[in-house]
Amino acid sequence: MNRRNFLSLTGTYTGGLLLLPDFLHAFGSQNNLVVGEQCLVFIQLNGGNDGLNTFIPYENPLYYDLRTKIALSKEAVIGKNKGMAFHPALKDFAQMQQNGDLTILQNVGYPEPNRSHFRSQEIWQTATDSNKYLNEGWLGRYLDLQCKEHQPTAGINLDSIDNLALKGIEPNAITVKDPNRFKVKNDKEETVKLSDNPQLDFVRKIANSVSEGSDDIQKALAKSTSETSYPKTGLSKNLEWISRLIKGNLNSKVYYTSLGGFDTHDNQLGIHERKLTELNDALFSFYQDLKKAQLLQNVTVVVFSEFGRRVKDNGNGTDHGTAAPMFIIGGNNKGTILGKNPNLSDLDNGDLKHEIDFRSVYATLLKEKMTFDATKIGINNALVNGLF
Amino acid sequence: MNKSNLWSLRLGFSSKQATEIEKIGFEKFLKQSFATTFDKKLPQFLEDDPKTLAELRELRQSIKNADSEAQKKILKKQIRNSFELKKWWLDKMRNDAHPLREKMVCFWHNHFVATSQKVKVNYWVYQHNMVLREHAFGNFKELTKKIIKTNAMVRYLDNVDNKKGNYNENLSRELLELFTLGIGNYSETDIKEGAKALAGLNLGADEAIYRRLIEDNSSKTYFGQTGDFKADDLVDIIFEQPKIPYLITRKILKWFVYDTPSDDLVHYYGDYFRKVNFEIEPLLTKIFTEEYAKENAGSKIKDPLVFMLQMMDELHIETVENTLIAFFLKQQGMDLFNQTNVKGWDGGNSWLTSQIYLQRNNTSDLLCNGRNISRKSFNKIPEDGETPEISIEKISVKVAFDTKGTNKKIISDLANRLFFQVDENTQKDMENLLKYDFDATNENANNAVLRLFNYITKTPEYQLI
Repeated sequence: MNRRNFLSLTGTYTGGLLLLPDFLHAFGSQNNLVVGEQCLVFIQLNGGNDGLNTFIPYENPLYYDLRTKIALSKEAVIGKNKGMAFHPALKDFAQMQQNGDLTILQNVGYPEPNRSHFRSQEIWQTATDSNKYLNEGWLGRYLDLQCKEHQPTAGINLDSIDNLALKGIEPNAITVKDPNRFKVKNDKEETVKLSDNPQLDFVRKIANSVSEGSDDIQKALAKSTSETSYPKTGLSKNLEWISRLIKGNLNSKVYYTSLGGFDTHDNQLGIHERKLTELNDALFSFYQDLKKAQLLQNVTVVVFSEFGRRVKDNGNGTDHGTAAPMFIIGGNNKGTILGKNPNLSDLDNGDLKHEIDFRSVYATLLKEKMTFDATKIGINNALVNGLF
Repeated sequence: MNKSNLWSLRLGFSSKQATEIEKIGFEKFLKQSFATTFDKKLPQFLEDDPKTLAELRELRQSIKNADSEAQKKILKKQIRNSFELKKWWLDKMRNDAHPLREKMVCFWHNHFVATSQKVKVNYWVYQHNMVLREHAFGNFKELTKKIIKTNAMVRYLDNVDNKKGNYNENLSRELLELFTLGIGNYSETDIKEGAKALAGLNLGADEAIYRRLIEDNSSKTYFGQTGDFKADDLVDIIFEQPKIPYLITRKILKWFVYDTPSDDLVHYYGDYFRKVNFEIEPLLTKIFTEEYAKENAGSKIKDPLVFMLQMMDELHIETVENTLIAFFLKQQGMDLFNQTNVKGWDGGNSWLTSQIYLQRNNTSDLLCNGRNISRKSFNKIPEDGETPEISIEKISVKVAFDTKGTNKKIISDLANRLFFQVDENTQKDMENLLKYDFDATNENANNAVLRLFNYITKTPEYQLI
């Protein structure tokens, strides 16, 4: 499928091309021990996840001094390892680490951090310096160069809005709102009512089938089933969906989804626990599912947030901060902890100083998993050693 | 949605007139719209085109005598001029300060269909279009008389083949079925007798004329009346029939306000139309002022023309060629001067299929990225192993927004301008795209608002006005 079809309206049959993914020509020369298609799965935690209460420096007295209201006790934290431990809600993170499938990158951030959700997400999604602006996302730029021709399903975003990270010159990624819509396409449609306004009802029904690549997605779905039972949460559904697409050989390079609710200015303990539980349960089901299908080595899951939170608590919550841990699961990572434990005595206006630039992580993911040189898309940061 | 935006879209093709409507009030704006004049000067590209029958014969002769290269050249010029005609019209639609006349011309154009594909003579198609322009707000009966006597119409509906003793009923049939009364309100006899009355009405110098040798001067019985009727007499008789106002009134309501107007409303306005002797301006005035007072946004699926011109206006795109717009319209099933059949575009739900919707989304993606919808950008396909060359025509795009506003202010401004309704999910999505700590003074703010606009244009709600 190429862009010429765009104006010729002949455009959505991409099936044949995807059977021969020639856009992945780089993979022919790949010196990787792992056989099979690699893909990246991003889970963006929206709102600024509190890193210090996610992966906790429980042996550092400063942690307890600075967080009088919201610190988690030594007794509560789990998976203790070199002075760090997980939030109790992340019990399966601890398990995955024990299995050697989870790496934690500590103090990930970028210079001159921006504490606006809006802007910081933009920075993470475009991978620019914090004073530079780009209108295309880093994954979009990667797919632009990697896809020989326009491939609508090279990137899949499970969300109700498009994601800047996947935005490129060419539309190589699609946003899928409701996984179910592909399944119900042909039945029920006539009887289901999507609005009391008959015109709107009509357009909404059409909208459900409006997506380039929807045929490929349907095909991939038809080829796979779900054997693991996932919890009934939004993130779980999205991950289950991604798993089915991977198992159904959709051959997308990048999957992206998000979980909101991490902006814990108040009532942090309760809210954060609920959110991390949701993350833990969804991710662990996904992990088990992929393991069972023997695909975990081909799938690299990346969990991150636009920033961490202020070291010192503020009432029952925390303010916007800077550096935070990033989690890598699967994809044959080394299952280790990279970077020093957070330094709570050397702060920048009360915030952690970053140690690993997130763009180094991006560059490493592209290099190791996609055999792609990130400098081609303007990411010049050094690679992270010892991740894979 | 702001009423001024809604009615700017309804009376025109974009939100361009919203400010003016707000400033001077709806009634005054309407009056000004009706009071507009229009350019009667022959467009330059038609100056050399053949106009009279003699000139056409000459051209045909020259084609016959020319070698194949020269033939191609002549034909190419004809095709190019048929495209020039679309551009000429789109230019009026895009730039008129009061686009209601062009909106109405487009309505009539889709009512009295005569496609350039079949008519073939660009000048006749132009003439036909000019008759519609002149009578856009005039009298329906007079317009009907006038239009069936255009060269374009007699050729399009095969009246050139309608001769005494060898009748062709096409024009006679459509005059009743599609132009005036509608199916079920006439008999087959009326069609046959009508064809007799129209026999011999054939191509003329400026408009169609009766040719003595092939006209039928016998007595005809039409809707129970008997006489030696000609075209004008038929129209007079048709306009005495009780059902005459309704078909056109329904179509007008569909064109401007509702995809499915109620029968009551059709009769209400239709009866008034009869009362004012089929004068179009008072009918439109009544419909617009009374419908303006109602809450009826979201009753109609946008046609491709409004979709595109609104997009151009919102993104402040000046540089995009009308050629490309014409091309887009064709792909979207609204090819100007070229409806697929005499019924014209159905409108309503048939404006959207998933393919067409997808293309609207793709177009929005491209334009919001500041890229032209030209074909040029994807002419070159890289060879095997080569990195694709991304050559694109950049155009400057920007969406107007309050640079001092908060995210909520900007969202609600855009929503009031673009959405007939905003439900909870849409609001949530928009606030996700433009978060509460969005800084409108940031140098990159325009791009963020463009992403919001891009999102809006792809929602089902945006497809409705």
